Amino acid sequence: MTMSNVRTPATAFFAAAVCSCAAAVAQDMPLTQVLLPGEGWELVSEGHRFTEGPAVDAEGRVYFVDVPASTIHRVEADGKVTTVVSGTERTSGLMFGPDGRLYGCQNGGKKVVSWAVEGDGFGPPKVHAELPSCNDLAVLSDGSIYVTDPKEQQVWLVRPNGEKAVVARGFEPNGVVAWRGEGTLVVTDSNAPHLWAFRIEQDGTLKYGEKYYGPLFLPSGKTVPGSDGMAVDADHRLYVATHAGLQMFDPTGRLGGVIAKPQPTFLSNVVFGGPEFRYLYVTCADKVYRRKVKPHGRPYFAKPAD
Amino acid sequence: MKLAAHVAVLLLPATLVAAAEDYKLGPDSKRQERVPRGAVTQGRYESDDVYPGTVRDYWVYVPKQYDGKSPAAVMVFQDGRGYVNEKGHSRVPIVFDNLIHAGDMPVTIGVFVQPGSIPPSKPGARARRTRSFEYDALGDRYARFLIDELLPFVEKEHEVTFSTDPERRAVAGISSGGICAFTVAWERPDSFRRVLSYVGSFTNIRGGYDYAARIRKTEKKPLRVFLQEGSNDLDNLHGSWPLSNRQMAKSLEFMEYDVRFVLGDGGHNGRHGGAILPDALRWLWRDHAKAR
Repeated sequence: MTMSNVRTPATAFFAAAVCSCAAAVAQDMPLTQVLLPGEGWELVSEGHRFTEGPAVDAEGRVYFVDVPASTIHRVEADGKVTTVVSGTERTSGLMFGPDGRLYGCQNGGKKVVSWAVEGDGFGPPKVHAELPSCNDLAVLSDGSIYVTDPKEQQVWLVRPNGEKAVVARGFEPNGVVAWRGEGTLVVTDSNAPHLWAFRIEQDGTLKYGEKYYGPLFLPSGKTVPGSDGMAVDADHRLYVATHAGLQMFDPTGRLGGVIAKPQPTFLSNVVFGGPEFRYLYVTCADKVYRRKVKPHGRPYFAKPAD
Repeated sequence: MKLAAHVAVLLLPATLVAAAEDYKLGPDSKRQERVPRGAVTQGRYESDDVYPGTVRDYWVYVPKQYDGKSPAAVMVFQDGRGYVNEKGHSRVPIVFDNLIHAGDMPVTIGVFVQPGSIPPSKPGARARRTRSFEYDALGDRYARFLIDELLPFVEKEHEVTFSTDPERRAVAGISSGGICAFTVAWERPDSFRRVLSYVGSFTNIRGGYDYAARIRKTEKKPLRVFLQEGSNDLDNLHGSWPLSNRQMAKSLEFMEYDVRFVLGDGGHNGRHGGAILPDALRWLWRDHAKAR
């Protein structure tokens, strides 16, 4: 629950007292708004080589990859984990698109592909683009795909008709996510303690890029944050997987807090999934964990919940 | 149950703060008979250089005594809407009218500027608000925005001329606007040497807590700094505002800056700052009164 959702005469008075100060204080978003007392990380899956790319479908089911094993796995409603695709050519980043297909970045194949989910199985992948490298992607509600190309240090736009164009360059991108409403695209910078925000233009190009989120926390003695996958919640907070933990930012780019990693290995990515999208799922080296939290995700393709 | 708990938590500090504050505006902040009134005009500015894509509102106060021939002193207020409002916490146009008329401060043009926002390109999308990005960030970027972009624009658009003497150029703000004001002068003492901060955010929003340390190990800069703070100010994830402001004041005193620190019992708002604004301005501009 956010403060603005509480409507009583008493809180209306409080809000008036705060707002009359004209200090234009943006709402602070500490970790207490996110973490539930007594709820920690719980193990979802183990025995993998390197997990990545968690994606959620319209029902809240979570998919993730094992990059070196070239497999995609699904967490079923009962918690059982199944292998749904093999031979993915080292697919890393995943996300569902508006057409219900599962999109993926083939690290090995250097291709952006998608699979139709057919019952328990998957059809053959459809190729959307071949790129110098691809790591992670964000699929928008109109079918546009933004893809990070760490090798050439650029971000690609793959249009629904298959046309592709470089829309940002000059830093080493890894994770990519769009704000709810799709006005802004956020891209990580592997070598610097900030995240880039760009305005998404009507034609899909990016404008007004700034190091908007930051500074990120660096573990003592480290010079790079290890920023990787990201997620946004329904209140517009942004979460980014880093060496220091899962860093949470408010919508004005201020660090709200750092959630501890489930284990001291590489934290690669995050997604909201599970019932009502109320769990943070993270991929952390050989294991996948989840944690129930106060906010929830709201992917555009999910059935309207409220 | 959940709702009741929220209400209880929220109400407690609000009640304490309300009880602690009894700051009232004095006669210098009220309209006086026979005092010439300056004119306030509003504008909108779209940046294409330092903060590309941002739009923001601003207001310009030009005192009646400004003759258009000699350059005026200038004071730039961040979160300017709250300062320019004649029913707000500070009522700057009224205070300027009274103090300029009394000869307590120079003929000063006020520039009141809002933080920026990048509007979305598509309907239904959210704007990117750049207040924290502009105000809380350390470095000279916001100073460059004022010096190279906004002030030259205002001079041209409103046919006014600002003094280039840094002793006649002041910068002010509240909360994140307070640290922003300090940052402008810290980075560019060649351009601004008067700072007024209400409840300044010298905390860890984007690293500003570091000033207290930097000041002590940096060769003294020619700044005059007025810091207002309240013992009931914020204590949150970014830090403790009362402690951070005391640290700032101690560091500035240690380096023998021309600093004045006023600690009241207010909260995170402009009531105390507004009540003492006339005194703060007299202190910041005291050489002017002496020169007369």
